[in-house]
Amino acid sequence: MRLAVFVSDFKGMVDTLERLTAEKLGIILVENGVYHAVIKENGNPSQLLKKSANFYVLSEDLATRGLSSSNVMSNVKVVNYNDVVDLIFNDYEKLAWL
Amino acid sequence: MGTLTIGIFSSLIGSMSFDFTMKLAEAAVNKGHKVNLWFSGNATSAAKNNQKHLKDYSTGEKPLKALLEKGVEICTCEACTSARGIQKTDAIEKIQWNAMHWYLAKIHHSDRVLHIGGE
Repeated sequence: MRLAVFVSDFKGMVDTLERLTAEKLGIILVENGVYHAVIKENGNPSQLLKKSANFYVLSEDLATRGLSSSNVMSNVKVVNYNDVVDLIFNDYEKLAWL
Repeated sequence: MGTLTIGIFSSLIGSMSFDFTMKLAEAAVNKGHKVNLWFSGNATSAAKNNQKHLKDYSTGEKPLKALLEKGVEICTCEACTSARGIQKTDAIEKIQWNAMHWYLAKIHHSDRVLHIGGE
């Protein structure tokens, strides 16, 4: 199964994500979830980004929070709404919202 | 082209999830996909007509009507809407009123489903 998980909050979700198994896992950071893509704690990126997955962050939600795509971690791809639609229909078959 | 059904439980004010839903629906329908929206819980407040436009929010009655004109099917949970004191006579035209079975039927016939829970 190809699963895309929308992460919409900035809090520890690693335990929840660990319970999700998929042949292909995509994590799309939206709303306050975009902080996972830019904030470091004690010099380390978010624990969430250590998971084996393809990471995406919504550019509009970055901009809304005054965050620049230049600060996004290198393993996270910046996408817009059109890209998210394509991810939904072309790359993943099941969707979840956290 | 595919069909995307989104169930949304959050309201416009106080949550960004409703805003996200509207923008995703618009992007999908503009790409030629069929989109269905199910409003439940506090999201049903969006069915009310004569909403004041707030400049800090990109969504509201006007964009909702634009989505309807583009063929997006929108249905509000009748029980949730009525419970909030909104009657059909106070609602945006073309928004359907129905029960959970509408949502389940749309899910059954959709290629993709995104269920966004409430606050």
